Amino acid sequence: MNSSNSLRKESDRHKSKSSLISILSRPEIGPIGVMILLFGMLGYFSIPASETTWNPFAGEGFNALGIRNNLRVISQLGIIALGAGLLIIAGEFDLSIGSMIGFAGACMAMILRWGFSIIIPYVYFDDGAHIEFYTLLHISDVSPILAIFITLCFTLTFGWIQGFIIVRSGLPSFIVTLGGLFFLRGLTEVSLRSFNHRPDQAKGATTVTEIPDIKNIINLPGYGEMEREAAKYLPDGDLLSIVKNLPSDVIYKITERLEYTFQRVAEAKTNLLIAKGVKPLEKALENAVASDNEYMIKTIQEKIENFKIDPVIPKSVTEIDIARAYIDSIGTSRPIADFFGGNILEPIFDWLYFPIDWNVNNFGNQFAPGLYSCVMIWVILSLVCYIVLSKTQVGNWIYSTGGNLSAAQANGVPTNKVKISLFIFSAFCATLFATCQVFEVNTSDAAKGNLKELEAIAAAVIGGIVMTGGFGTVLGIIVGAFIFGLAKEAFFYIPGVDGSFYRVFLGFVIIASALLNENIRKRIMGNI
Amino acid sequence: MVTNLIPLIETQDIVKKFGSFIALNGVSLKVYPGEVHALLGDNGAGKSTLIKALSGVHQPTSGKIIVEGKETKFNSPRDASEVGIGTVYQDLALNSLTSVTRNFFLGRELKFGKGPFGILKMNKMHGIAIEEMAKIGIKIEDPEQPVGTMSGGQRQTLAIARAIYFGAKVLILDEPTSALGQKQQMEVLKTIKKVQQLGNIAIILITHNEIHARLIADRYTFISLGEVIGSGTSKDLAGDDIRRLMAGGAEVGDLAKELA
Repeated sequence: MNSSNSLRKESDRHKSKSSLISILSRPEIGPIGVMILLFGMLGYFSIPASETTWNPFAGEGFNALGIRNNLRVISQLGIIALGAGLLIIAGEFDLSIGSMIGFAGACMAMILRWGFSIIIPYVYFDDGAHIEFYTLLHISDVSPILAIFITLCFTLTFGWIQGFIIVRSGLPSFIVTLGGLFFLRGLTEVSLRSFNHRPDQAKGATTVTEIPDIKNIINLPGYGEMEREAAKYLPDGDLLSIVKNLPSDVIYKITERLEYTFQRVAEAKTNLLIAKGVKPLEKALENAVASDNEYMIKTIQEKIENFKIDPVIPKSVTEIDIARAYIDSIGTSRPIADFFGGNILEPIFDWLYFPIDWNVNNFGNQFAPGLYSCVMIWVILSLVCYIVLSKTQVGNWIYSTGGNLSAAQANGVPTNKVKISLFIFSAFCATLFATCQVFEVNTSDAAKGNLKELEAIAAAVIGGIVMTGGFGTVLGIIVGAFIFGLAKEAFFYIPGVDGSFYRVFLGFVIIASALLNENIRKRIMGNI
Repeated sequence: MVTNLIPLIETQDIVKKFGSFIALNGVSLKVYPGEVHALLGDNGAGKSTLIKALSGVHQPTSGKIIVEGKETKFNSPRDASEVGIGTVYQDLALNSLTSVTRNFFLGRELKFGKGPFGILKMNKMHGIAIEEMAKIGIKIEDPEQPVGTMSGGQRQTLAIARAIYFGAKVLILDEPTSALGQKQQMEVLKTIKKVQQLGNIAIILITHNEIHARLIADRYTFISLGEVIGSGTSKDLAGDDIRRLMAGGAEVGDLAKELA
């Protein structure tokens, strides 16, 4: 027997990788590479052709408004991708997420608009049988928290029913949740049409409009609760009396800020006027160059150099301006609506405008007020999911339920409870998505969330989740949502390329990721 | 090898019927601590039904299961594992995609706080997993290693170590060597020997392999068509007996004649 051979242990066959290789062979590394590439593409292509700069933050993709809008798309997708992804790790998947978003949004919007009733129909025998309705309960002015709670009761119950049917019957989740997809979308349309028979709504429409802007209801001292916009257009006399009651340091701060804004607006106007005046001259110069008229070229060049315009004088700050700025600065009196539909990081974006002078649009005003709240909700949800999946007992249960169901059961893991809970969680994520949307835009539409279930699954797969279950990380799901959202935006900016090419690109990425994931899974399973 | 007088687990006239089919027709056996009890028999002899009755998956139609002198009834696998019967099935009940530690503690994780959302005590669990596997002869370097990357023998060890750590006094091993290569079969046998040397654990070894049985078994029970057709200690039985009884009582000599 060869003695050197006998010293080799089974474990020697592992552990021979260097740390660099082991980092590069982590499953997240491919998706992270694609994500960085897309960041670069979005930054580079969104810089206007007229500007020569390498600063990616100069372009439309990553200016203040670009960051705000892109992060909104990414985080909305990220929220539902977490629900879809965790469920896939446990070996099931949910096609009803998109319809659930539509249903939850419509449900919440209807409750906010018309209130909530429990009505019991019964048959009444008098002059033949006919159906009467008994109103057991009616709440006409439902607070945001109650509307969310009632909606959650419906959606979570539906999630539970889907999960229950799947674990009890052993049917594939594909078919049961496909049923859920049609059922919920239909139910949403039917109920919206039947409620839209009132004179103040378009008859038979599948939308709910004219919900008050709840997140912007403020408590104006001396006037009570009202919408911010209404408060800003109170009669001048009222606005002046508001200013009179303000402490002087508040007035000073507001005035300082307004003077800065007006200064910026005036500068922007001046620049626009200069551009307007110079543009025809530049055109003339082009013609002159084309016709090779040296005298003309010289004259026009001189004219352009000497072109001057009197700078626009900044508007002076009036007390009405101060009153309106003050009303803008009052905090909401509906914190729950603001939590879901408002803005976050407002002080930072404010600071980026004054005094940092970055968050400025072409007209000199502040560009983005902050990030959408859904970004914060995504971050919180991701953190919770990360801790649960990788640090808790439930996490181990989720992995084993999807990885080897019979092994999990043999070791006493309550796999049915795990699966049902994750169907409920998926419904919860869809409801969160809908809640953010309803409170952001104050409308709802039966078509909301269409195809979102597939986008969520795609993001999860791109992020390294294996469709057969048992494998994947929360970090991967986050990266997947980034890739999906960034691709959508980046392709829009590539000159001469149809924006829909992002779908072609994502198609490639999805298949490539699925192949890669399967390869990693097989390597771990010992089949390679 | 020390043989105590009281068996750790004993069955008396176990009968199990599935409808009109009689899977077990009065099987009795005694298993002592520190002993490897080989349960031998051809396919369909009733070995699997017997171990399923012992591990609480099936409830016997009649007959008694006596654990440490006390008659017990198992309504579920949980009942059986609570009195210390640990079964290691052929599929090992391991999740190949997760780590050694996560598999070792699957369903019985150590955690801070109560409830399923308790945070795992990962480091402590890593330590225990390494230590317990070392006790029965396998040293693993990386407790984070996915089980799928381990050899078949190592996986078997993991499953056995897990059963022992969680209180198995009777260890039922269902054909532990059948799906393995030669070298790994030997590793598993070494592991079983180590468990035997611990002295307080009774091992029921189901196998098809006469050679493996002869290498480590202290006592044999042969089953054919749902009945015990022979039993004895390794001293009592000669090699030919074992071979004959394994084939369900048919004379291998007769077969040799037929083939000639």
